Amino acid sequence: MSLARDRVGTWIGWAFFADLASGLALTFGYMFSRSVTMQYPDKEKWLPYSRYRGHHFLKRDEGGEIKCVACELCARICPCDCIEVIPYEDEKGNRRPAKFEIDMARCLFCGLCEDACPADAIALGQQYEFSSLASRDLVIGRDDLLGKPGKATTGGGVVTARLNTEQDVLVETSEPQGYNWWRNIRRT
Amino acid sequence: MELIVALGLIVFKVALLIAILLLLPLPLTWLERKIAGHMQQRMGPMRVGWHGLLQPVADGIKLLTKEDHIPAEADRFLFKLAPILALAPPFVVFVAIPFGETVSVLGTEITLYVSNMNVALLFVFAVIGIEVYGVIFGGWAANSKYAVLGSLRTCAQMISYEIPMGFAVIGVVMLAHSMSLLDIVRAQADVWNIVYQPVGFFVFFVAGLAEAQRIPFDLAEAEGDLGAGFHTEYSGIRFAFFMVSEYAIVLLVSVLVVILFFGGWNGILVPLPPLLWFLLKVAFFVYLFIWFRFTFPRYRYDQLMAIGWKVLLPLSMANIIITGVAFF
Repeated sequence: MSLARDRVGTWIGWAFFADLASGLALTFGYMFSRSVTMQYPDKEKWLPYSRYRGHHFLKRDEGGEIKCVACELCARICPCDCIEVIPYEDEKGNRRPAKFEIDMARCLFCGLCEDACPADAIALGQQYEFSSLASRDLVIGRDDLLGKPGKATTGGGVVTARLNTEQDVLVETSEPQGYNWWRNIRRT
Repeated sequence: MELIVALGLIVFKVALLIAILLLLPLPLTWLERKIAGHMQQRMGPMRVGWHGLLQPVADGIKLLTKEDHIPAEADRFLFKLAPILALAPPFVVFVAIPFGETVSVLGTEITLYVSNMNVALLFVFAVIGIEVYGVIFGGWAANSKYAVLGSLRTCAQMISYEIPMGFAVIGVVMLAHSMSLLDIVRAQADVWNIVYQPVGFFVFFVAGLAEAQRIPFDLAEAEGDLGAGFHTEYSGIRFAFFMVSEYAIVLLVSVLVVILFFGGWNGILVPLPPLLWFLLKVAFFVYLFIWFRFTFPRYRYDQLMAIGWKVLLPLSMANIIITGVAFF
């Protein structure tokens, strides 16, 4: 009985285009919902999480000296053979890298060098904007690697992007697990 | 002297009309992309100008500077003729469209229409009928299978939907006792035709959607199965001609719906200038077209034909009979 009534109701609905109307109402509602677009690189950019594997960087110890002991384990474990380390002995008698080059054009950002490092000297940081017009510019030397930004501490936030001239960034966050952008979208 | 003034006025009005119709697709494409973006939670064009306002200008420059490619196997004369044939009729139709009653500026009576024909409605439908030639020639001359399929579909679709469209307005003509669009609007001064002719409006609007080849009836340029339909092989400014003609037809159908069923420039409740009322109503229907486009899927080809012949045609005939019995 109720099934038959439902069927009649459905037919009446179809006759007056209830389904079309509900579809129109849905799209109309979405038209006034927040947009999920991130205006990169015009306005804002995504700050990666702390576990993000971006551009490599070399660390220094408390004395300001490079941590790397030039053991070449990273070069050995690298699956695409993109790290080249040449050791030397400094004035204190420690083994240090005279040359530490990473070919970013070949790197696949697996993070194995970070895992292999016994001195906790190399890690993959938060920087991801290092495109270049020439692949030889992507060979990064030791001193450049020392200056690269480290791991992200908060992560997941939205910060000012490179091409932003208006300095009007919508969202900034200190949440460790990041800013849940889905939260602000009207969903039905 | 009076003759010169009258002639000058007509030339001025025609020039103004052509300029408006040629320039209007620019804001319309921007609006369409913006509305599409926001309905899909995107932003639409943002980079060229304030909120992408200059994007259509950039697109226009791009289309103008692109290579005007004509396929080797194409019929060159028809290929070049087709965009013009598609573009001209929507412009010609606007000659018969009134935008308001007579206004007086500096002591001169200026009519807000180019010509007040006593058979304006007939003229409109006759000229819209020509529009299909541009599409057929374009598809045929390109000598491409997608283009031919697209133009065949358009041909069948236009012919089958022009019949219910023509029948749907007969009720309106009966109510106004006239085929002049000016008289039809004047007849709606108290009650809009939508009250007496809801079925007529429905049939006219759906047929208008099909005539403008917009979703859900854009079978002629169904991207999924036909590339781009009849204008697959067109590029550069010739492609832009087809686009301008599409927007002009969208505008035309909106204007016709407003004039025939929604009281033209007659306002209700809020006393606004008549021309503003008219433009607001037209804007609403243009928005409705865009809104439909980003809400509904496309009908299958046999469904399209079934709707045209089995639903709209009987509905429009029943509408004529009921209107005739009720009012005479």
